[in-house]
Amino acid sequence: MTGVEVLHGQASGAAATTRRLQTRDRRRRFLVYAGLAPFILIAVFPVYWMAITAFKTDSDLVNPAVFPFWFHQSPTVQHFTYLFQHTYYGNWLYNTMVIAVWVSVVTLAAAVPAGYALARLGLPGAENMGIGIFLGYLIPPILLFIPLSRVVSLSHLIETKWALVLVYPTFTIPYCTWLLSGFFKTVPAEIEEAAQVDGCGRLSALIRVVLPVSLAGILTAVIFAFTLSMQDFLYSLVYVAVSDQKPVPLGVATDLIRGDVYFWGSLMAGALLAGVPVAILYSFFLDQFISGITGAAIK
Amino acid sequence: MANAELVAGVQVTRRGAILRQRLSFGYSLLAPAVIFMAVLVGAPFFFSLYLSLSDASVGSPVARYVGLQNFQAVFQDSVFRLALRNSVVFTVIAGIFKALLGTLMAFLLVQEFRGKKLVRSLVVLPWTLPITITVLAWRWMLDSQFSAVNWVGTHLHLIHGWPNWLGEPGLAVASVIAVNVWRGFPFAAIVLVAGMSAVPLEILDSAKVDGANFFLRFHHIIVPIIAPILFVGLLFDTVFTLSDLSIVYLLTSGGPEGFTEILPTRALEVGIQAGALGRGAAISLVLFPILLPVVYLLLRMLRRREAL
Repeated sequence: MTGVEVLHGQASGAAATTRRLQTRDRRRRFLVYAGLAPFILIAVFPVYWMAITAFKTDSDLVNPAVFPFWFHQSPTVQHFTYLFQHTYYGNWLYNTMVIAVWVSVVTLAAAVPAGYALARLGLPGAENMGIGIFLGYLIPPILLFIPLSRVVSLSHLIETKWALVLVYPTFTIPYCTWLLSGFFKTVPAEIEEAAQVDGCGRLSALIRVVLPVSLAGILTAVIFAFTLSMQDFLYSLVYVAVSDQKPVPLGVATDLIRGDVYFWGSLMAGALLAGVPVAILYSFFLDQFISGITGAAIK
Repeated sequence: MANAELVAGVQVTRRGAILRQRLSFGYSLLAPAVIFMAVLVGAPFFFSLYLSLSDASVGSPVARYVGLQNFQAVFQDSVFRLALRNSVVFTVIAGIFKALLGTLMAFLLVQEFRGKKLVRSLVVLPWTLPITITVLAWRWMLDSQFSAVNWVGTHLHLIHGWPNWLGEPGLAVASVIAVNVWRGFPFAAIVLVAGMSAVPLEILDSAKVDGANFFLRFHHIIVPIIAPILFVGLLFDTVFTLSDLSIVYLLTSGGPEGFTEILPTRALEVGIQAGALGRGAAISLVLFPILLPVVYLLLRMLRRREAL
């Protein structure tokens, strides 16, 4: 065997290895896609079915003779216009926004200073206090809704959306305090010290220096104040029975049913319209949510 | 020398003053959150203990102390006993399925492939959509007349006839559990992915290359790495599942004939709809001893995080 032949043999061997690796890689990728396909199907199908339902005419919707997962009459927006013209849907959207804004304000007002204090000031007992506040997130609404109904009626907010502005922070404050305290830990101490050397007090160092660099964390907290509020059903069901005061999820679930008749077209239209933006927003911030609640407990 | 002592003394008192100032600053920053939580979570919790020992009702503002009568009455109620059993059974069965499906999906999601971000945001839809909204979609998919599930099932010859999912006891129980699994398994998967991404993919894969058989891999990878992460995820999920009202309330309202009743729906019916605040508080407090060990374990894990 000459040297050239040996070299040649090595090269072709290497090529064969590469090819084998490529085939294996392609097969692996195919298996991953094939494995994920059923998961994607069961996750997306209900949403697809909602969308089809929302845009179908009523007669198309209840026609048993045809393939139900496509249109047999031209799509319609009648269910959406019905929502805005004949129900309180517009009010529900507005209420949801108002609740989201005020819950965020209340949550930030409590969680930003608390998260900062827990993260940065080395308070004795800070760890226990942090865990104590987080405990509030783990005491579920189902244990609190009956006693809180007394609190809500005493505060004369019962039957209005303001009742929800009062109670939603019971789960957003602990969650956001926890999240923000993790966030403040990552802000370098030097910039704060520099500000204090420059004559800022502790409070103004917090407001002028720490908050501006923590905007991402604060935005995340706002997103969660909103998405967590949208996940509630129990509190709104118990405290708000007046139609024009309801948030979207409650309104859709309780007002679009007359007696035993479900108006599926408009129900799905209303559900979709509010649900999809929340889902998109939430999925962008999902990683922060997970690391927020599990934190380094899993690392 | 006297001078030096004096200076040192001044420094000590100044340092003391700075420390005191920092502490009072810290505690005043904590105060709003602590006061809010004490007033709207702490106090109501103890108030609910008091309510459960009284005959308080929506109509009468004056409550009488009745000792453990509410709890006795509650445990004699057969609907409550079924609700208690269902709460536990649903949570356990759904938890097993969520763990299995979540682990399977997590192993797929940690792989590198094109379109990963899109795929991920699609498969987590059940978790990211507001729960009320997805349960309504399922109610429509399991409708007695126009069930999309039945349409697919019969055309693929997977099911015979036209089952009334929400109208028959066994099927209704299965439906409630299935919707809970559907909603919760992406959460288990994402928690696992977050935890596994701290472990190099090579380690997960290397065992395969080394020809480690399933049991070896189970021993060296699944048990030490996957299990603790999954455990944290499942603990959170258990709190969510035990305390969730919306799936049962919107799918079956506890029916047919109370077969899918769980503690939250029973507490709502008795405490608010029937107006027996005391008895309702007693029912939801029965959840407390079940939740307590779960919450204790979670807090222990979180404390470990704080120590880092």
